[in-house]
Amino acid sequence: MDTLAGIGNVSVRRERVRETRMPLWQQITMLAWRSLVVTLRTPAVVIPSLIISVFFLLVYEATLGDAANFFLSGQSYLGFILPLSIVSAALSGAGTAGQAIVRDIENGYFDKLLLTPVSRGAVLLGPMIAGAIVLVLQTGLVTIVGLFMGLDPATGIVGLLTMLLFALLLGIAFAGFTVGIALRSGNAAATQGASFLFFPLSFLTATFVPVDLLSGWIKTAAVYNPITYILEAMRTLLNTGWDAEIMARGFASILLMAAITYTFAIFSLRARVRRK
Amino acid sequence: MKNREIVAENLVKQFTDFTAVDDVSFRVESGEVFGFLGPNGAGKSTTVKMLTTLQLPTSGDATVGGYDIIKEAGKVRRIAGVALQEIGLDPLMKSMELLTIQAQLYGMSRSDARKRAENLLQLVKLDDVTDRPVGKYSGGMRRRLDLALALAHQPEILFLDEPTTGLDPASRRDVWTEVRRLNREQGMTIFLTTQYLEEADELADRIAIINRGKIAAEGTPEELKASLGGESINVTFASTSQLEQAENYLGDMADTMQRDRNTLRLYLPKAAAAIPAVVNRLQSNNIDPESLTLTQPSLDDVFLKVTGQAFDAEGTAPAEAEVA
Repeated sequence: MDTLAGIGNVSVRRERVRETRMPLWQQITMLAWRSLVVTLRTPAVVIPSLIISVFFLLVYEATLGDAANFFLSGQSYLGFILPLSIVSAALSGAGTAGQAIVRDIENGYFDKLLLTPVSRGAVLLGPMIAGAIVLVLQTGLVTIVGLFMGLDPATGIVGLLTMLLFALLLGIAFAGFTVGIALRSGNAAATQGASFLFFPLSFLTATFVPVDLLSGWIKTAAVYNPITYILEAMRTLLNTGWDAEIMARGFASILLMAAITYTFAIFSLRARVRRK
Repeated sequence: MKNREIVAENLVKQFTDFTAVDDVSFRVESGEVFGFLGPNGAGKSTTVKMLTTLQLPTSGDATVGGYDIIKEAGKVRRIAGVALQEIGLDPLMKSMELLTIQAQLYGMSRSDARKRAENLLQLVKLDDVTDRPVGKYSGGMRRRLDLALALAHQPEILFLDEPTTGLDPASRRDVWTEVRRLNREQGMTIFLTTQYLEEADELADRIAIINRGKIAAEGTPEELKASLGGESINVTFASTSQLEQAENYLGDMADTMQRDRNTLRLYLPKAAAAIPAVVNRLQSNNIDPESLTLTQPSLDDVFLKVTGQAFDAEGTAPAEAEVA
Protein backbone atom coordinates (compact mmCIF):
# COMPACT_ATOMS: atom_id res chain seq x y z
CA MET A 1 0.00 0.00 0.00
CA ASP A 2 2.75 2.38 1.02
CA THR A 3 4.79 1.51 -2.00
CA LEU A 4 1.88 2.00 -4.35
CA ALA A 5 1.05 5.36 -2.86
CA GLY A 6 4.70 6.31 -3.16
CA ILE A 7 4.87 5.44 -6.84
CA GLY A 8 1.58 7.20 -7.43
CA ASN A 9 2.92 10.35 -5.89
CA VAL A 10 5.99 10.41 -8.07
CA SER A 11 4.09 10.18 -11.34
CA VAL A 12 1.51 12.65 -10.14
CA ARG A 13 4.19 15.14 -9.19
CA ARG A 14 5.71 15.17 -12.66
CA GLU A 15 2.65 16.11 -14.61
CA ARG A 16 0.99 18.18 -11.98
CA VAL A 17 3.06 21.32 -11.68
CA ARG A 18 2.57 22.90 -15.05
CA GLU A 19 5.84 24.46 -16.03
CA THR A 20 3.99 27.16 -17.93
CA ARG A 21 5.85 30.09 -16.62
CA MET A 22 5.86 33.67 -17.69
CA PRO A 23 9.24 34.38 -19.34
CA LEU A 24 11.49 36.49 -17.13
CA TRP A 25 11.51 39.49 -19.46
CA GLN A 26 7.72 39.49 -19.52
CA GLN A 27 7.56 39.37 -15.74
CA ILE A 28 9.92 42.33 -15.60
CA THR A 29 8.04 44.38 -18.22
CA MET A 30 4.70 43.66 -16.60
CA LEU A 31 5.86 44.67 -13.13
CA ALA A 32 7.71 47.72 -14.49
CA TRP A 33 4.58 48.84 -16.29
CA ARG A 34 2.53 48.30 -13.15
CA SER A 35 5.01 50.36 -11.07
CA LEU A 36 5.05 53.15 -13.63
CA VAL A 37 1.26 53.34 -13.81
CA VAL A 38 1.00 53.41 -10.03
CA THR A 39 3.73 56.08 -9.72
CA LEU A 40 1.97 58.27 -12.26
CA ARG A 41 -1.29 57.87 -10.33
CA THR A 42 0.32 59.89 -7.55
CA PRO A 43 1.74 62.82 -9.52
CA ALA A 44 2.64 64.42 -6.18
CA VAL A 45 5.62 62.06 -6.08
CA VAL A 46 7.01 63.29 -9.39
CA ILE A 47 5.87 66.87 -9.93
CA PRO A 48 7.49 68.68 -6.95
CA SER A 49 11.00 67.44 -7.70
CA LEU A 50 10.52 68.37 -11.34
CA ILE A 51 9.45 71.88 -10.35
CA ILE A 52 12.44 72.20 -8.01
CA SER A 53 14.86 71.20 -10.77
CA VAL A 54 13.43 73.80 -13.15
CA PHE A 55 13.24 76.40 -10.37
CA PHE A 56 16.95 76.01 -9.55
CA LEU A 57 17.80 76.25 -13.19
CA LEU A 58 15.92 79.55 -13.57
CA VAL A 59 17.20 81.06 -10.33
CA TYR A 60 20.86 80.14 -10.76
CA GLU A 61 20.86 81.32 -14.33
CA ALA A 62 19.21 84.63 -13.34
CA THR A 63 21.39 85.35 -10.30
CA LEU A 64 24.76 84.01 -11.39
CA GLY A 65 24.53 84.17 -15.15
CA ASP A 66 26.25 87.56 -15.57
CA ALA A 67 28.67 87.17 -12.66
CA ALA A 68 29.95 83.94 -14.15
CA ASN A 69 31.50 85.63 -17.17
CA PHE A 70 34.83 85.98 -15.41
CA PHE A 71 35.49 82.24 -15.10
CA LEU A 72 33.61 80.94 -18.06
CA SER A 73 35.40 83.17 -20.56
CA GLY A 74 32.58 83.55 -22.97
CA GLN A 75 31.02 80.09 -22.49
CA SER A 76 27.37 79.91 -21.58
CA TYR A 77 26.50 79.76 -17.88
CA LEU A 78 23.31 77.93 -18.86
CA GLY A 79 25.44 75.11 -20.24
CA PHE A 80 27.39 75.15 -16.99
CA ILE A 81 24.42 75.10 -14.62
CA LEU A 82 21.96 72.92 -16.55
CA PRO A 83 23.85 69.70 -15.66
CA LEU A 84 23.30 70.50 -11.98
CA SER A 85 19.54 70.58 -12.57
CA ILE A 86 19.80 67.40 -14.59
CA VAL A 87 21.74 65.69 -11.78
CA SER A 88 19.12 66.75 -9.24
CA ALA A 89 16.29 65.55 -11.52
CA ALA A 90 18.16 62.28 -12.02
CA LEU A 91 18.63 61.74 -8.29
CA SER A 92 14.99 62.41 -7.51
CA GLY A 93 13.82 60.26 -10.43
CA ALA A 94 15.99 57.41 -9.20
CA GLY A 95 14.57 57.97 -5.72
CA THR A 96 11.13 56.95 -6.97
CA ALA A 97 12.46 53.39 -7.44
CA GLY A 98 13.20 53.05 -3.74
CA GLN A 99 9.94 54.73 -2.84
CA ALA A 100 7.95 52.40 -5.09
CA ILE A 101 9.53 49.36 -3.45
CA VAL A 102 9.03 50.62 0.07
CA ARG A 103 5.38 51.37 -0.77
CA ASP A 104 4.95 47.76 -1.83
CA ILE A 105 6.62 46.53 1.33
CA GLU A 106 4.42 48.72 3.51
CA ASN A 107 1.12 47.90 1.84
CA GLY A 108 1.94 44.19 1.74
CA TYR A 109 1.96 43.80 -2.04
CA PHE A 110 5.65 42.88 -1.90
CA ASP A 111 4.81 39.81 0.19
CA LYS A 112 1.87 39.05 -2.06
CA LEU A 113 4.28 38.92 -5.00
CA LEU A 114 6.80 36.82 -3.07
CA LEU A 115 4.03 34.24 -2.50
CA THR A 116 3.75 33.73 -6.27
CA PRO A 117 6.37 31.94 -8.37
CA VAL A 118 7.54 35.29 -9.77
CA SER A 119 11.30 35.76 -10.04
CA ARG A 120 12.55 37.66 -7.00
CA GLY A 121 14.71 39.72 -9.34
CA ALA A 122 11.68 40.87 -11.35
CA VAL A 123 10.02 42.11 -8.17
CA LEU A 124 12.93 44.55 -7.76
CA LEU A 125 13.75 45.27 -11.39
CA GLY A 126 10.17 46.26 -12.19
CA PRO A 127 10.06 49.33 -9.92
CA MET A 128 13.67 50.16 -10.81
CA ILE A 129 12.91 50.28 -14.52
CA ALA A 130 9.82 52.36 -13.80
CA GLY A 131 12.06 54.72 -11.80
CA ALA A 132 14.44 54.93 -14.76
CA ILE A 133 11.56 55.86 -17.07
CA VAL A 134 10.45 58.60 -14.67
CA LEU A 135 14.03 59.80 -14.62
CA VAL A 136 14.27 59.96 -18.41
CA LEU A 137 11.01 61.93 -18.54
CA GLN A 138 12.19 64.34 -15.84
CA THR A 139 15.66 64.98 -17.21
CA GLY A 140 14.21 65.24 -20.71
CA LEU A 141 11.76 67.90 -19.59
CA VAL A 142 14.47 69.88 -17.80
CA THR A 143 16.58 69.72 -20.94
CA ILE A 144 13.70 70.99 -23.04
CA VAL A 145 13.28 73.91 -20.63
CA GLY A 146 17.02 74.55 -21.06
CA LEU A 147 16.64 74.56 -24.85
CA PHE A 148 13.86 77.11 -24.56
CA MET A 149 16.18 79.25 -22.43
CA GLY A 150 18.65 79.29 -25.26
CA LEU A 151 20.85 76.27 -24.59
CA ASP A 152 23.11 75.58 -27.58
CA PRO A 153 25.10 72.39 -26.88
CA ALA A 154 28.63 72.37 -28.31
CA THR A 155 28.32 68.71 -29.27
CA GLY A 156 24.86 69.04 -30.82
CA ILE A 157 22.03 66.61 -30.44
CA VAL A 158 24.30 63.58 -29.98
CA GLY A 159 26.06 65.36 -27.13
CA LEU A 160 22.74 66.25 -25.57
CA LEU A 161 21.65 62.63 -25.70
CA THR A 162 25.00 61.56 -24.27
CA MET A 163 24.45 63.95 -21.40
CA LEU A 164 21.02 62.40 -20.77
CA LEU A 165 22.63 58.97 -20.91
CA PHE A 166 25.03 60.10 -18.19
CA ALA A 167 22.01 61.22 -16.17
CA LEU A 168 20.34 57.85 -16.67
CA LEU A 169 23.44 55.92 -15.62
CA LEU A 170 23.88 58.14 -12.57
CA GLY A 171 20.24 57.52 -11.70
CA ILE A 172 20.65 53.77 -12.04
CA ALA A 173 23.68 53.92 -9.74
CA PHE A 174 21.79 56.02 -7.21
CA ALA A 175 18.73 53.74 -7.42
CA GLY A 176 20.89 50.96 -5.96
CA PHE A 177 21.25 53.08 -2.85
CA THR A 178 17.57 53.99 -2.45
CA VAL A 179 16.43 50.43 -3.20
CA GLY A 180 18.96 49.12 -0.68
CA ILE A 181 17.61 51.43 2.00
CA ALA A 182 14.02 50.53 1.08
CA LEU A 183 14.74 46.81 1.43
CA ARG A 184 16.71 47.21 4.60
CA SER A 185 14.32 49.51 6.43
CA GLY A 186 10.95 48.61 4.89
CA ASN A 187 9.97 52.10 5.97
CA ALA A 188 8.93 54.98 3.71
CA ALA A 189 10.16 57.77 5.96
CA ALA A 190 13.56 56.14 6.34
CA THR A 191 13.86 55.66 2.59
CA GLN A 192 13.00 59.25 1.86
CA GLY A 193 15.29 60.48 4.65
CA ALA A 194 18.21 58.42 3.42
CA SER A 195 17.70 59.72 -0.12
CA PHE A 196 18.28 63.19 1.26
CA LEU A 197 21.74 62.09 2.35
CA PHE A 198 22.74 62.23 -1.27
CA PHE A 199 21.55 65.79 -1.59
CA PRO A 200 24.77 67.28 -0.11
CA LEU A 201 26.72 65.28 -2.68
CA SER A 202 25.42 67.58 -5.39
CA PHE A 203 26.64 70.58 -3.40
CA LEU A 204 29.95 69.31 -2.06
CA THR A 205 31.20 69.58 -5.57
CA ALA A 206 31.89 72.12 -8.27
CA THR A 207 28.29 73.22 -7.93
CA PHE A 208 28.47 76.84 -8.98
CA VAL A 209 32.04 77.30 -10.14
CA PRO A 210 34.69 75.01 -11.68
CA VAL A 211 36.81 72.86 -9.32
CA ASP A 212 39.92 74.95 -10.00
CA LEU A 213 38.32 77.97 -8.37
CA LEU A 214 37.51 76.09 -5.15
CA SER A 215 39.86 76.02 -2.21
CA GLY A 216 40.13 74.54 1.28
CA TRP A 217 38.00 71.67 2.54
CA ILE A 218 35.34 72.06 -0.10
CA LYS A 219 37.94 71.52 -2.79
CA THR A 220 39.09 68.34 -1.07
CA ALA A 221 35.48 67.18 -0.84
CA ALA A 222 34.85 68.00 -4.47
CA VAL A 223 37.93 66.15 -5.64
CA TYR A 224 36.73 62.93 -3.97
CA ASN A 225 33.09 63.39 -4.93
CA PRO A 226 32.13 61.30 -7.97
CA ILE A 227 29.42 63.84 -8.86
CA THR A 228 32.19 66.36 -9.66
CA TYR A 229 33.40 64.26 -12.59
CA ILE A 230 29.91 63.48 -13.81
CA LEU A 231 29.08 67.19 -13.79
CA GLU A 232 32.35 67.95 -15.51
CA ALA A 233 31.60 65.46 -18.28
CA MET A 234 28.11 66.89 -18.81
CA ARG A 235 29.35 70.47 -18.80
CA THR A 236 32.08 69.70 -21.28
CA LEU A 237 29.52 68.17 -23.61
CA LEU A 238 27.36 71.28 -23.46
CA ASN A 239 30.02 73.98 -23.46
CA THR A 240 33.30 72.85 -25.05
CA GLY A 241 33.01 69.66 -27.06
CA TRP A 242 33.97 65.98 -27.04
CA ASP A 243 36.80 65.11 -24.66
CA ALA A 244 37.50 61.40 -24.37
CA GLU A 245 39.43 61.67 -21.12
CA ILE A 246 36.77 63.68 -19.30
CA MET A 247 34.03 61.36 -20.59
CA ALA A 248 35.96 58.33 -19.38
CA ARG A 249 36.49 59.91 -15.97
CA GLY A 250 32.77 60.70 -15.68
CA PHE A 251 31.85 57.20 -16.71
CA ALA A 252 34.34 55.63 -14.30
CA SER A 253 32.89 57.70 -11.43
CA ILE A 254 29.43 56.33 -12.15
CA LEU A 255 30.79 52.80 -12.33
CA LEU A 256 32.49 53.23 -8.96
CA MET A 257 29.29 54.60 -7.41
CA ALA A 258 27.23 51.79 -8.87
CA ALA A 259 29.68 49.18 -7.59
CA ILE A 260 29.22 50.49 -4.05
CA THR A 261 25.44 51.03 -4.14
CA TYR A 262 24.68 47.68 -5.79
CA THR A 263 26.82 45.76 -3.35
CA PHE A 264 24.74 47.41 -0.65
CA ALA A 265 21.47 46.69 -2.49
CA ILE A 266 22.31 43.03 -2.99
CA PHE A 267 23.16 42.54 0.67
CA SER A 268 19.93 44.30 1.61
CA LEU A 269 17.95 42.08 -0.75
CA ARG A 270 19.50 38.98 0.78
CA ALA A 271 18.58 40.21 4.23
CA ARG A 272 14.97 40.85 3.17
CA VAL A 273 14.28 37.59 1.34
CA ARG A 274 16.24 35.45 3.75
CA ARG A 275 12.76 34.51 4.95
CA LYS A 276 13.77 35.21 8.51
CA MET B 1 -5.50 11.34 -6.58
CA LYS B 2 -3.28 14.36 -6.23
CA ASN B 3 -1.27 14.81 -3.11
CA ARG B 4 -2.83 17.76 -1.36
CA GLU B 5 -1.54 17.06 2.11
CA ILE B 6 0.14 19.41 4.50
CA VAL B 7 2.55 17.75 6.88
CA ALA B 8 4.39 19.66 9.58
CA GLU B 9 7.04 17.98 11.66
CA ASN B 10 8.43 19.69 14.75
CA LEU B 11 8.23 23.17 13.29
CA VAL B 12 9.96 25.78 15.40
CA LYS B 13 10.18 29.50 14.77
CA GLN B 14 12.42 31.37 17.12
CA PHE B 15 12.60 35.14 17.06
CA THR B 16 15.28 36.99 18.96
CA ASP B 17 13.21 37.49 22.08
CA PHE B 18 10.60 34.74 22.00
CA THR B 19 9.54 31.48 20.41
CA ALA B 20 6.51 32.09 18.18
CA VAL B 21 6.03 28.47 17.11
CA ASP B 22 7.29 25.82 19.46
CA ASP B 23 7.62 22.28 18.13
CA VAL B 24 4.41 22.09 16.13
CA SER B 25 3.50 18.90 14.26
CA PHE B 26 0.31 18.03 12.42
CA ARG B 27 -0.95 16.38 9.30
CA VAL B 28 -3.71 17.71 7.09
CA GLU B 29 -5.16 15.12 4.73
CA SER B 30 -5.95 15.78 1.07
CA GLY B 31 -9.29 17.51 0.69
CA GLU B 32 -9.66 18.33 4.35
CA VAL B 33 -10.64 21.63 5.94
CA PHE B 34 -8.25 22.04 8.83
CA GLY B 35 -8.97 24.65 11.47
CA PHE B 36 -6.00 26.19 13.27
CA LEU B 37 -7.61 27.78 16.26
CA GLY B 38 -5.99 30.06 18.78
CA PRO B 39 -5.96 33.50 20.37
CA ASN B 40 -3.97 36.47 19.06
CA GLY B 41 -0.26 35.87 19.19
CA ALA B 42 -0.59 32.11 19.51
CA GLY B 43 1.62 31.50 16.48
CA LYS B 44 -1.02 30.98 13.79
CA SER B 45 0.25 33.56 11.29
CA THR B 46 3.86 32.55 11.78
CA THR B 47 2.93 28.94 11.01
CA VAL B 48 1.13 30.03 7.84
CA LYS B 49 4.10 32.15 6.76
CA MET B 50 6.44 29.21 7.17
CA LEU B 51 4.17 26.80 5.28
CA THR B 52 3.72 29.28 2.43
CA THR B 53 7.50 29.96 2.12
CA LEU B 54 7.49 33.56 3.32
CA GLN B 55 9.53 32.64 6.37
CA LEU B 56 12.00 29.87 7.04
CA PRO B 57 11.52 27.73 10.12
CA THR B 58 14.28 27.85 12.71
CA SER B 59 14.09 24.07 12.76
CA GLY B 60 11.74 21.30 11.71
CA ASP B 61 10.32 20.25 8.35
CA ALA B 62 7.12 20.57 6.45
CA THR B 63 5.72 19.57 3.11
CA VAL B 64 2.84 21.13 1.23
CA GLY B 65 1.35 18.93 -1.48
CA GLY B 66 4.40 16.69 -1.07
CA TYR B 67 6.85 19.53 -1.70
CA ASP B 68 9.41 20.55 0.86
CA ILE B 69 8.78 24.10 2.03
CA ILE B 70 12.50 24.81 2.22
CA LYS B 71 14.03 22.97 -0.73
CA GLU B 72 11.08 23.14 -3.11
CA ALA B 73 9.70 26.56 -2.22
CA GLY B 74 9.03 27.39 -5.89
CA LYS B 75 6.76 24.38 -6.32
CA VAL B 76 4.95 25.08 -3.07
CA ARG B 77 4.22 28.61 -4.33
CA ARG B 78 2.82 27.17 -7.55
CA ILE B 79 0.20 24.93 -5.94
CA ALA B 80 -0.67 26.97 -2.85
CA GLY B 81 -3.08 29.89 -2.72
CA VAL B 82 -2.61 32.26 0.19
CA ALA B 83 -4.67 35.00 1.79
CA LEU B 84 -2.63 36.43 4.61
CA GLN B 85 -4.02 38.16 7.64
CA GLU B 86 -2.50 41.44 6.51
CA ILE B 87 -4.17 41.92 3.14
CA GLY B 88 -1.48 42.76 0.60
CA LEU B 89 -3.28 44.96 -1.89
CA ASP B 90 -1.83 48.07 -3.48
CA PRO B 91 -4.47 50.74 -2.76
CA LEU B 92 -3.71 52.59 -5.99
CA MET B 93 -4.46 49.62 -8.21
CA LYS B 94 -7.78 48.35 -9.48
CA SER B 95 -9.19 44.90 -8.88
CA MET B 96 -8.90 43.89 -12.53
CA GLU B 97 -5.23 44.92 -12.69
CA LEU B 98 -4.36 43.04 -9.52
CA LEU B 99 -6.11 39.89 -10.66
CA THR B 100 -4.73 39.83 -14.21
CA ILE B 101 -1.18 40.40 -12.97
CA GLN B 102 -1.65 37.66 -10.38
CA ALA B 103 -2.99 35.16 -12.93
CA GLN B 104 -0.28 36.02 -15.46
CA LEU B 105 2.45 35.49 -12.89
CA TYR B 106 1.26 31.90 -12.68
CA GLY B 107 1.72 31.51 -16.42
CA MET B 108 -1.70 32.37 -17.82
CA SER B 109 -1.86 34.31 -21.08
CA ARG B 110 -3.11 37.86 -20.89
CA SER B 111 -6.50 37.07 -22.38
CA ASP B 112 -6.98 33.98 -20.20
CA ALA B 113 -5.95 36.02 -17.19
CA ARG B 114 -8.56 38.65 -17.98
CA LYS B 115 -11.29 36.05 -18.34
CA ARG B 116 -10.26 34.43 -15.11
CA ALA B 117 -10.26 37.84 -13.42
CA GLU B 118 -13.78 38.57 -14.63
CA ASN B 119 -15.06 35.25 -13.35
CA LEU B 120 -13.42 35.72 -9.98
CA LEU B 121 -14.79 39.24 -9.62
CA GLN B 122 -18.27 37.86 -10.23
CA LEU B 123 -17.65 35.10 -7.75
CA VAL B 124 -16.68 37.50 -4.96
CA LYS B 125 -19.37 39.97 -6.04
CA LEU B 126 -17.01 42.80 -6.92
CA ASP B 127 -17.79 42.96 -10.63
CA ASP B 128 -19.69 46.24 -10.25
CA VAL B 129 -16.81 48.19 -8.68
CA THR B 130 -13.97 47.34 -11.06
CA ASP B 131 -13.16 50.95 -11.90
CA ARG B 132 -12.70 51.97 -8.27
CA PRO B 133 -9.17 51.87 -6.81
CA VAL B 134 -8.81 49.19 -4.16
CA GLY B 135 -7.92 51.85 -1.59
CA LYS B 136 -11.55 53.00 -1.69
CA TYR B 137 -12.91 49.53 -0.92
CA SER B 138 -14.45 48.67 2.43
CA GLY B 139 -12.75 46.10 4.68
CA GLY B 140 -15.11 43.37 3.56
CA MET B 141 -14.59 44.12 -0.14
CA ARG B 142 -10.84 44.06 0.33
CA ARG B 143 -11.01 40.65 2.03
CA ARG B 144 -13.12 39.29 -0.79
CA LEU B 145 -10.72 40.61 -3.41
CA ASP B 146 -7.82 39.12 -1.49
CA LEU B 147 -9.60 35.76 -1.51
CA ALA B 148 -10.11 36.11 -5.27
CA LEU B 149 -6.36 36.77 -5.69
CA ALA B 150 -5.55 33.65 -3.70
CA LEU B 151 -7.77 31.68 -6.09
CA ALA B 152 -6.38 33.20 -9.30
CA HIS B 153 -4.35 30.11 -10.27
CA GLN B 154 -6.82 27.51 -9.04
CA PRO B 155 -4.61 26.37 -6.18
CA GLU B 156 -4.78 22.85 -4.85
CA ILE B 157 -4.16 23.91 -1.29
CA LEU B 158 -5.56 27.11 0.13
CA PHE B 159 -4.22 28.92 3.17
CA LEU B 160 -6.57 31.40 4.78
CA ASP B 161 -5.17 33.34 7.70
CA GLU B 162 -8.07 34.72 9.74
CA PRO B 163 -10.21 35.26 6.65
CA THR B 164 -13.18 36.65 8.53
CA THR B 165 -11.52 38.80 11.20
CA GLY B 166 -13.10 42.24 11.05
CA LEU B 167 -15.92 41.19 8.72
CA ASP B 168 -19.59 41.86 9.34
CA PRO B 169 -21.76 38.77 9.92
CA ALA B 170 -23.13 38.73 6.37
CA SER B 171 -19.68 38.88 4.72
CA ARG B 172 -18.48 36.26 7.17
CA ARG B 173 -21.20 33.89 6.05
CA ASP B 174 -20.30 34.58 2.40
CA VAL B 175 -16.72 33.54 3.10
CA TRP B 176 -17.92 30.40 4.88
CA THR B 177 -20.14 29.44 1.96
CA GLU B 178 -17.26 29.95 -0.45
CA VAL B 179 -14.82 27.93 1.67
CA ARG B 180 -17.30 25.04 1.79
CA ARG B 181 -17.92 25.27 -1.94
CA LEU B 182 -14.21 25.27 -2.84
CA ASN B 183 -13.62 22.32 -0.60
CA ARG B 184 -16.61 20.33 -1.83
CA GLU B 185 -16.53 21.09 -5.55
CA GLN B 186 -12.81 21.33 -6.17
CA GLY B 187 -11.50 19.10 -3.43
CA MET B 188 -9.23 21.88 -2.29
CA THR B 189 -7.39 21.28 0.96
CA ILE B 190 -8.03 24.29 3.15
CA PHE B 191 -5.85 25.38 6.03
CA LEU B 192 -7.79 27.98 7.93
CA THR B 193 -6.66 29.90 10.95
CA THR B 194 -9.19 31.59 13.13
CA GLN B 195 -9.74 32.97 16.57
CA TYR B 196 -13.45 32.26 16.34
CA LEU B 197 -14.54 28.98 17.88
CA GLU B 198 -17.81 29.14 16.02
CA GLU B 199 -15.98 29.41 12.72
CA ALA B 200 -13.75 26.43 13.43
CA ASP B 201 -16.72 24.39 14.62
CA GLU B 202 -18.72 25.37 11.54
CA LEU B 203 -16.10 24.79 8.84
CA ALA B 204 -13.36 22.50 9.96
CA ASP B 205 -13.25 18.74 9.57
CA ARG B 206 -10.47 18.72 12.11
CA ILE B 207 -9.14 21.32 14.50
CA ALA B 208 -5.83 21.96 16.18
CA ILE B 209 -5.85 24.37 19.08
CA ILE B 210 -2.65 26.36 19.29
CA ASN B 211 -1.69 28.36 22.31
CA ARG B 212 1.62 30.11 23.01
CA GLY B 213 3.23 28.41 20.05
CA LYS B 214 2.28 24.88 21.05
CA ILE B 215 -0.51 22.61 19.89
CA ALA B 216 -2.71 22.08 22.91
CA ALA B 217 -5.28 19.71 21.41
CA GLU B 218 -6.14 18.18 18.06
CA GLY B 219 -9.09 16.27 16.66
CA THR B 220 -12.51 16.58 15.08
CA PRO B 221 -14.80 19.06 16.83
CA GLU B 222 -16.77 16.09 18.17
CA GLU B 223 -13.68 14.31 19.44
CA LEU B 224 -12.48 17.42 21.17
CA LYS B 225 -15.80 17.96 22.86
CA ALA B 226 -16.05 14.31 23.83
CA SER B 227 -12.54 14.39 25.26
CA LEU B 228 -13.83 16.56 28.05
CA GLY B 229 -15.75 13.65 29.50
CA GLY B 230 -19.27 14.58 28.53
CA GLU B 231 -21.28 17.40 29.92
CA SER B 232 -20.38 19.87 32.61
CA ILE B 233 -22.03 21.49 35.59
CA ASN B 234 -21.00 25.09 36.09
CA VAL B 235 -21.38 26.53 39.54
CA THR B 236 -20.77 30.21 40.12
CA PHE B 237 -19.87 31.50 43.59
CA ALA B 238 -19.91 34.91 45.24
CA SER B 239 -16.19 34.78 46.02
CA THR B 240 -13.04 32.97 45.18
CA SER B 241 -12.71 31.64 48.72
CA GLN B 242 -16.12 30.00 48.44
CA LEU B 243 -15.06 28.53 45.16
CA GLU B 244 -11.94 27.12 46.72
CA GLN B 245 -13.93 25.48 49.53
CA ALA B 246 -16.38 24.03 47.05
CA GLU B 247 -13.50 22.70 45.00
CA ASN B 248 -12.39 20.66 48.02
CA TYR B 249 -15.84 19.25 48.71
CA LEU B 250 -16.72 18.44 45.13
CA GLY B 251 -13.36 17.11 44.02
CA ASP B 252 -14.32 13.44 44.15
CA MET B 253 -17.52 13.88 42.14
CA ALA B 254 -16.06 15.08 38.83
CA ASP B 255 -13.61 13.62 36.34
CA THR B 256 -12.01 17.02 35.89
CA MET B 257 -12.59 20.43 37.36
CA GLN B 258 -11.80 23.72 35.79
CA ARG B 259 -11.81 27.21 37.28
CA ASP B 260 -12.99 30.16 35.23
CA ARG B 261 -12.99 33.28 37.42
CA ASN B 262 -15.68 32.60 40.04
CA THR B 263 -17.14 29.68 38.18
CA LEU B 264 -16.21 26.10 38.84
CA ARG B 265 -16.79 23.70 35.99
CA LEU B 266 -17.23 20.06 36.81
CA TYR B 267 -16.80 17.73 33.88
CA LEU B 268 -18.52 14.42 34.41
CA PRO B 269 -20.61 11.94 32.44
CA LYS B 270 -24.37 12.27 32.89
CA ALA B 271 -24.06 15.65 34.48
CA ALA B 272 -27.79 16.35 34.58
CA ALA B 273 -28.38 13.39 36.85
CA ALA B 274 -25.59 14.51 39.15
CA ILE B 275 -27.02 17.96 39.83
CA PRO B 276 -28.98 17.01 43.01
CA ALA B 277 -25.91 15.37 44.49
CA VAL B 278 -23.80 18.44 43.79
CA VAL B 279 -26.41 20.74 45.34
CA ASN B 280 -26.73 18.49 48.39
CA ARG B 281 -23.00 18.37 48.90
CA LEU B 282 -22.76 22.15 48.76
CA GLN B 283 -25.70 22.69 51.08
CA SER B 284 -24.49 20.26 53.67
CA ASN B 285 -21.29 22.29 53.78
CA ASN B 286 -23.17 25.60 53.98
CA ILE B 287 -22.08 26.92 50.59
CA ASP B 288 -24.72 28.78 48.60
CA PRO B 289 -23.86 29.02 44.95
CA GLU B 290 -24.99 32.11 43.04
CA SER B 291 -26.01 30.14 40.00
CA LEU B 292 -25.78 26.70 38.58
CA THR B 293 -25.94 25.82 34.92
CA LEU B 294 -25.57 22.75 32.83
CA THR B 295 -23.76 22.78 29.48
CA GLN B 296 -23.14 20.41 26.71
CA PRO B 297 -19.46 20.85 26.01
CA SER B 298 -18.69 23.38 23.32
CA LEU B 299 -15.40 24.25 21.73
CA ASP B 300 -15.30 27.08 24.25
CA ASP B 301 -15.00 24.54 27.00
CA VAL B 302 -12.41 22.59 25.10
CA PHE B 303 -10.40 25.73 24.64
CA LEU B 304 -10.67 26.63 28.27
CA LYS B 305 -9.64 23.19 29.31
CA VAL B 306 -6.57 22.95 27.13
CA THR B 307 -5.32 26.49 27.52
CA GLY B 308 -6.59 27.51 30.92
CA GLN B 309 -7.98 30.71 29.37
CA ALA B 310 -11.53 31.61 28.53
CA PHE B 311 -12.60 33.19 25.30
CA ASP B 312 -14.34 36.46 26.13
CA ALA B 313 -17.65 37.63 24.72
CA GLU B 314 -16.15 38.62 21.37
CA GLY B 315 -14.67 35.20 21.03
CA THR B 316 -11.10 36.25 21.59
CA ALA B 317 -8.94 35.02 24.39
CA PRO B 318 -6.82 37.38 26.49
CA ALA B 319 -4.28 38.55 23.97
CA GLU B 320 -0.64 37.66 24.17
CA ALA B 321 1.94 39.80 22.41
CA GLU B 322 0.86 40.47 18.85
CA VAL B 323 2.95 38.50 16.39
CA ALA B 324 3.69 40.00 13.01
